[in-house]
Amino acid sequence: MKLDQWVWLPVAAISTSVYATTYFSTEEAQQAIFPGEKLTPAFFTLSDAQAKKIEDTTDVNVRHKDIKAWKASGGGWFILDEVVGKHEFITYAVGLHADGSVKQIEIVDYRESYGYEVRNPDWRRQFTGKTAAAPLKLEQDIHNISGATLSARHVTDGVKRVLATYAIALK
Amino acid sequence: MPSPSSSLRRARPLLGTLVEISASGASAGLQAALDAAFASIEVIDRLMSFHAPASDVSRINAAGAGCAVCVDPHTFRVLQFARELGEMSGGAFDITVADVLMRGGLLPRHAAVAFDTAAGADFRDLVLLPGDRVRWRRKGWIDLGGIAKGYAVDCAIGALRAHGVASGIVNAGGDLRFFGEPQPVHVRHPEAPGALVPLGVFGDGAVATSSGYFSDHTGTAEGSAAEPLVDPVRRACVRWRQSVTVVAADGMTADALTKIVRLAPRAAPRILARFGAQAFVIDGRGVRRCGSAMPADAALA
Repeated sequence: MKLDQWVWLPVAAISTSVYATTYFSTEEAQQAIFPGEKLTPAFFTLSDAQAKKIEDTTDVNVRHKDIKAWKASGGGWFILDEVVGKHEFITYAVGLHADGSVKQIEIVDYRESYGYEVRNPDWRRQFTGKTAAAPLKLEQDIHNISGATLSARHVTDGVKRVLATYAIALK
Repeated sequence: MPSPSSSLRRARPLLGTLVEISASGASAGLQAALDAAFASIEVIDRLMSFHAPASDVSRINAAGAGCAVCVDPHTFRVLQFARELGEMSGGAFDITVADVLMRGGLLPRHAAVAFDTAAGADFRDLVLLPGDRVRWRRKGWIDLGGIAKGYAVDCAIGALRAHGVASGIVNAGGDLRFFGEPQPVHVRHPEAPGALVPLGVFGDGAVATSSGYFSDHTGTAEGSAAEPLVDPVRRACVRWRQSVTVVAADGMTADALTKIVRLAPRAAPRILARFGAQAFVIDGRGVRRCGSAMPADAALA
């Protein structure tokens, strides 16, 4: 076997329109972060002044003023939030201890979508090489993608926003 | 009575990316196994983060020449391997390039860094001492970004195995490792992240990908991204529109070898062979492979 040669492989790219994973239902995420505790909905709406204060302290946009929060029987908080990027949509849950420090962060739902590009033949032609690749819906088939995830930064920013929301509206 | 079998998949933001861990086996222990795996990644993150002021990396970077710094055995193991790869690649793999990344704005600047006088320490200037201690012979700055993520993935896999799960997958963005069930692996196309290239089906092993496609630092004249990857010879960030994927026995090896393939393409085939690893380069022209096919690599054999 020759080890020291680069060999071209006959492999074509597959264009995905959607790559998505659901990790939890909301209830499952609540039980994962606060096992055995009872969670009571405590939804609320930020005032314009509160939203502005959150944006000023974090430098992160407040996209939704309606906050999905639950109070845990042990005194903690469960907050469900989402971040949206150019191609991604991520729902995540932040569990806070009674003192407002982070207990746990879980991704609830991850979705990448490339609808426009995938339908556009010019876009597809640039990377498919010799084989025409049909847009496929591969939620079931593709699990292991080696390569960067889209938006750790968006989630990090979102968590900052959640912590500021706690400090300004729940504390 | 055997306990019922099932599988769990969870994802958390760690290591500056989203880390996904899957485990299957006897359902009773799965949650504990996943928690332990995530916890082990947090430990490595804390030890080897460039940003956290109390990390081993920050303490090494804060130390002046001649001062011995005591580090965690995990950190020492990574430093030892980095040293070995530095020797093997004739300096192409070099962790002492953090000053270049700081100058380029890819890492936050250390307050105490006087860049103008940087004499250009290289990997040989960080001396490894007995008792998990290190000492700068000539002062430099390290970043373990090219190797620690793979090691963190290895530690998470170790935690899953220690909990006796039947099969497990840890995916930290560019660093993926699995055991048990053979896994089909896809790589994002460097020119279109929505396009996936199937690499094959692999048994126990690790797959790491290095590419600039989600780099925040885009918009250069050539349209290529300035990446957090430094050529130690030129001491400058590289720009590239390809992606390199390495399949190896463990995550730390796969992670580090992607950088060697990119920075030392001539020496790479020899080094890949030494680790029984193979590399795939993907660009607009297609997919090339170098190195031996592993036995479970059925799809492309």
